[in-house]
Amino acid sequence: MNLEDWYRQDRLPHIYCPGCGNGTVLNCTLRAVQELGFKQEETTFISGIGCSSRASGYTSSDSLHTTHGRALAFATGVKLVKPHQHVLVFTGDGDCSAIGGNHFIHACRRNIDLTVVCINNSIYGMTGGQGSPCTPYGAITTTTPYGMHEQPFDLCKLADAAGANYVARWTSFHVKELTEAIRVGFEVQGLSFIEVMTQCPTSFGSKNKMRLATQMIDMFRENAVLKVKADRDAAAGKSLEPGKFIVGEFVRRHNPPLGVEESK
Amino acid sequence: MTTKTDFLNGNVACAEGAIAAGCRFFAGYPITPSTEIAERMAARLPKIGGTFVQMEDELGSVAAIIGGSWAGARTMTATSGPGFSLMMENIGYAAMTETPIVIVNVQRGGPSTGQPTKAAQGDMLQCRYGSHGDYSIIALSPSSVQEMFDLTVKAFNLADRFRTPVFLMTDETIGHMREKVNLHSDVEIIPRRELKEGELPCAPDENGVPGFATFGNGHNIHITGLTHGENGYPSTDSAEVHEHLVRRQVRKIEDFRNEITDVDVINPDAELVFISYGAPTRTVRQLMADVPDIYGHLNLRIVWPFPDESLLAFRNAKAFIIPEMNLGQIAKEVRQYTNVPIVIVPKLGGALHTPEELKKAVEVAKTVTKPVTEVCL
Amino acid sequence: MKLVINDHRCKGCNMCTMVCPYDIFQEGTRPGARGYIIPVLDHPERCTNCRLQKFYGRQLCGMCQTICPDQAISWVDEKPFEPHKVVIEY
Repeated sequence: MNLEDWYRQDRLPHIYCPGCGNGTVLNCTLRAVQELGFKQEETTFISGIGCSSRASGYTSSDSLHTTHGRALAFATGVKLVKPHQHVLVFTGDGDCSAIGGNHFIHACRRNIDLTVVCINNSIYGMTGGQGSPCTPYGAITTTTPYGMHEQPFDLCKLADAAGANYVARWTSFHVKELTEAIRVGFEVQGLSFIEVMTQCPTSFGSKNKMRLATQMIDMFRENAVLKVKADRDAAAGKSLEPGKFIVGEFVRRHNPPLGVEESK
Repeated sequence: MTTKTDFLNGNVACAEGAIAAGCRFFAGYPITPSTEIAERMAARLPKIGGTFVQMEDELGSVAAIIGGSWAGARTMTATSGPGFSLMMENIGYAAMTETPIVIVNVQRGGPSTGQPTKAAQGDMLQCRYGSHGDYSIIALSPSSVQEMFDLTVKAFNLADRFRTPVFLMTDETIGHMREKVNLHSDVEIIPRRELKEGELPCAPDENGVPGFATFGNGHNIHITGLTHGENGYPSTDSAEVHEHLVRRQVRKIEDFRNEITDVDVINPDAELVFISYGAPTRTVRQLMADVPDIYGHLNLRIVWPFPDESLLAFRNAKAFIIPEMNLGQIAKEVRQYTNVPIVIVPKLGGALHTPEELKKAVEVAKTVTKPVTEVCL
Repeated sequence: MKLVINDHRCKGCNMCTMVCPYDIFQEGTRPGARGYIIPVLDHPERCTNCRLQKFYGRQLCGMCQTICPDQAISWVDEKPFEPHKVVIEY
């Protein structure tokens, strides 16, 4: 299959805003799937609700666009009935950690063999720009007009603590690394959680002085610290500067997965 | 066909019925009084090539069984009142995406935590109207342990035929009582119709039901809870598409309601007629045995869609007496279809109606004139 | 081969301009089919993929195509008598 065949061409161009990172993440995901040589009928995309979750509708294989926050539970059902299917879940920061928080930690605990791509734009984009549990402290959103007064989640640490087998974070600027991470996520059995920091220039950027997509990409380029460098700094006693975040592969382990056919 | 006879409780018979019907995936959450169904499925499914998973909550349970149904399996979950309320969002999703699933609700005293170990029938309107928007479902109501087995098998066939969530509305008494039951191994299984090549995934056939596009069979469809056109793609701007979709989903069941009727019509010439479903049917049967040939009885095994034409069988009815373990939920539905005066006999608190209480209701019914009269027990 | 920006899809975010390692794009001044200002190819001869995809038999670089949120970038064969053509330098 060619890369173009993985897109549902009759639904493109998509509904995303100019400069939205979701389009980039979709490109990286479908590149990873194509590199692995999966067949269309053995791949399923499942998503929740939100801008991130519209991505499943632009893939040309079987896709399930479910209710808000519950994508991981639906994916558990699909995977347990058909363990041979490669199941990828698109979710967002609000979809995954707010309403879907319970399903998220249990899917990680259960270590079910899914690949979860969490498109974290730090805001609820589709409903107009409300704060989410991953909105940084002090950011302006429509429901936090005086600045966000709650601490955000570190989704990768949550996934790690809950027991996922593979946890990584990249941004929509690091497209090559992201494609590789999704590919590894498919190869690693057990729950693979890949968090992608993406830009939402329309909702997040416009209220936080980064109206252009290129400004937000600049912000990711400046503030993303590779894990190897962060580890070196930590060993030397230097702590992470405020505003910066670590990208890279955090966890790769081989705890027993669920939803994988045992070889007889 | 082999038939094993056993002495089981209602919940276990229901699980056995599901397995006989081909259910191979169960996702549930423990709740009194339905936990025995989950426990039996957990013990039986792995041995017959099925899968059991205990999900983190009831919303996850319905989500998982919908996902499993799209992957091609017959799936089921079981819960009670508080869990049922949690399931409503995803029940609406199953109705909108026309996913066949079976949900068993072993009703208990409500609202809220209520009386977990006492029977009730308080969720009858909720199973029909609980989720938001207009949709239609099928609900069955067993009144004995044998019916728990038989109606569960029927529930799976109805779910696959109409592509809708089907509810088995039982209660704590039927769920926990033990009776002799014949477990047939060879029951009739009518599987879902697979989507044919060239057919659109949401285009109805002559019965109003689209073919089912199992994931992994190369159909490559997009399923969404948004309003969608016949190709399955979201179409949220068109009033016409939405109206067409919602009406078709309701009509595909409502138009067939008198065809899928499963009722007992006993003594249709009687003047005083009992209408019952579930546990109160047992009391009515007892009364009819004690005082034969006087009263009529309409026992509903399929409660939703409501079989209004069955009411017409009782041509001489002067009053309908409706004992329910709720404050008159199905009585409201009967009222819509008939001008015959209705006597409701609500009983809360968990105990079944007694024949004496029904005799008291009969006395009231003999002289009733108002459209609806309540008998205070 | 040459790089083509589909102006029915491009929404003028200019991320391609930002990430190209060879700086082949420049922010444009004229709107495309949807009214967005689309970037223009300032130095198409520097595009590695345009020059060498045929030579290596696989796609090279591709940063712009991967990062483009609108799937607007693709490479096509040039027709025989095009005025500007990218050639391989040996």
